[in-house]
Amino acid sequence: MITTAHPVAPEDLMALLDGELPVDEARVVSAHLDQCAECAELTAQFRTVSRSLSGWTVPEAPSSLEESVMAQAAQGSSATKPGRTVRLSFRNWRLWAIGCGGAVAAVLVLVLVGVSLSYYEDHPGRVAYQVQSQTPSHSEVAEFASSGASQRRVATEQKSEALQGDAPLMNSVAATDPGAVAKSRAMRSQPMQGMSAGIATRRPNDVGGGGTSSATAAAASPMIARTATLTVMVKDISAARTSFDAILARHHAYSAELVVALLEDAPPHGIQASLRIPAPELGAALIEFKSLGRVQKESQSGEEVTQQHTDLAARLQNSRETEQRLRDILAQRTGKIEDVLQVEEEIARVRGEIEGMEADQRALEHRVDFATVDLQLVEEYKEQFSTPSTSVSTRIGNAFVDGMRNAASMMLGLVLFIEEAGPVVLIWLVILGVPTLLVWKRYRRMKAKV
Amino acid sequence: MEDALPVFVLHSEAAHSATMNDANIHPGEMFSSLGSEQTDEQLMLAFSRGLNGAFSTLFERYRQPLFGFFRRRVADPAHAEELAQETFLAVLRGASRYQATALFRTWLYAIAFKILRAHRRKAAFRATFLGAPAEIPEPVAAGSLDVEVMMRQAVGTLDAVDREVLLMREFEQLSYAEIASLLGLPLNTVRTRLFRARLALHALLAPATAIVKEAL
Repeated sequence: MITTAHPVAPEDLMALLDGELPVDEARVVSAHLDQCAECAELTAQFRTVSRSLSGWTVPEAPSSLEESVMAQAAQGSSATKPGRTVRLSFRNWRLWAIGCGGAVAAVLVLVLVGVSLSYYEDHPGRVAYQVQSQTPSHSEVAEFASSGASQRRVATEQKSEALQGDAPLMNSVAATDPGAVAKSRAMRSQPMQGMSAGIATRRPNDVGGGGTSSATAAAASPMIARTATLTVMVKDISAARTSFDAILARHHAYSAELVVALLEDAPPHGIQASLRIPAPELGAALIEFKSLGRVQKESQSGEEVTQQHTDLAARLQNSRETEQRLRDILAQRTGKIEDVLQVEEEIARVRGEIEGMEADQRALEHRVDFATVDLQLVEEYKEQFSTPSTSVSTRIGNAFVDGMRNAASMMLGLVLFIEEAGPVVLIWLVILGVPTLLVWKRYRRMKAKV
Repeated sequence: MEDALPVFVLHSEAAHSATMNDANIHPGEMFSSLGSEQTDEQLMLAFSRGLNGAFSTLFERYRQPLFGFFRRRVADPAHAEELAQETFLAVLRGASRYQATALFRTWLYAIAFKILRAHRRKAAFRATFLGAPAEIPEPVAAGSLDVEVMMRQAVGTLDAVDREVLLMREFEQLSYAEIASLLGLPLNTVRTRLFRARLALHALLAPATAIVKEAL
């Protein structure tokens, strides 16, 4: 081994023998080799090693090798053309390409399916579909109106039920025949204009103590309070709104409550209304509403209120007779002031009961005369080219805030995960890692041996 | 049989049978004669263009060196033959992909080395998980010399990479650059490892050499 300083590296001596030095360096090293005995000794060692290795010969290749290879070569060049077959090998790049491509395609399909599902879940058209399995209520109306309230202008028109407004009307028709009821309403009430006389004939004429004959007529003709629910998906909500108003006017109906959402860049567009339609017109009106688009939901129900109305009429008549008797007592009898005051108090109490029962009766009759229809018109979703314009700076700020929030959330989640799962993971690492390490070391050892 | 002589030459490229420019010959001229004067690259190009006779010539040239390549690295002679066969079959399959941008010899040994590494992985896997012996004892064939066994044992004590560098240089006569390319090592690393391997092997073989000299 070279122990003294030399102008050439010992590896250069070896490279000279191997012919790996450029000509210039080879001259320098060769000149040094002629003068340095130590380097000459090292070179001799290399030559010795080379000569020793030259003695390591191997037997002649067996003839079976030539036979098998030449047989394969003789099978034809077509069989040897590459790319014709795909070899089943772990290192075959084609298999990797096909496998990776298939995996990417599968992931894309899954992503597309997931996006589609989430899209339809968030889509307005889906809202109408979901409503099918739910009973619309006023809370839904409120939700419908409040959706996107921050960005949407909601045109709300609410009309209170004019039950109390009809009270004088009802009183005015007291003690008249059924035909008079219809005529009177036709003259005084615009919503009830043109109403058929069938409504009046079904209502017992008990107001004002009409007598037993009216109660008997009521018993013969059942009183039914009808309600209906209808959800229709329309293509153009503006056109549907016009038709909606026309249908209401044509059937002498009115809206007890109406919510309209028509802002162009804030779907869903729709109309939610609670309608009062004259009972005889209910069928025709529903048909016209259904013709506005595709029916998503329809339900009808009727509540029998004949018995309730009859009981109410009987109690009302008794109270009136009681009131009349008290008034007779007050008019005909004389007595102490205290007695007179007591009778007047009793008359006032009875009068209050009578008025309450009359209000209930009128409300009941109104429910019979006017069917309640919960109507929902939903416009089909149309994708918008323009999106709600938010300024770039705001979007950047929002993204930054979201990013910071997400980062904090992720870090917190990571810490929590480590706290929760760390000990278990550590145990499993010990259980699995130690044998794996031992097997890996054995594998490396065996590989080095081969 | 002498399959490859580990001789020192001033420049290993001089021993190469062809250069890149020699391969750029018209196919008609190439196919006209397939004698011994044809370079490996010309023969391979001729074979890739459908001349099966060219492969026979290549096979005759490299049958013994390739068998020796595997025989020195694999203990089982049957495995060595299988691996050599597999290498030639890989050449057959990849003939149309061959481009004369590299020496055929380098390309051939690159294929052989890949097949050898695959064999080593499989053998190590079997030895690790299936309990199969990783190394088959060397059968002492009739007429085999003690020097062969001694060499195999001495080389076997070297580091795996050092051993591979040494064998590729001494028997396959690959240049430093070719070895570096095959093993994926820097050129200086190849030089350093080769130097280290030769010194270590000399230290191992010196006592035996002295005994032989005394006996003679």
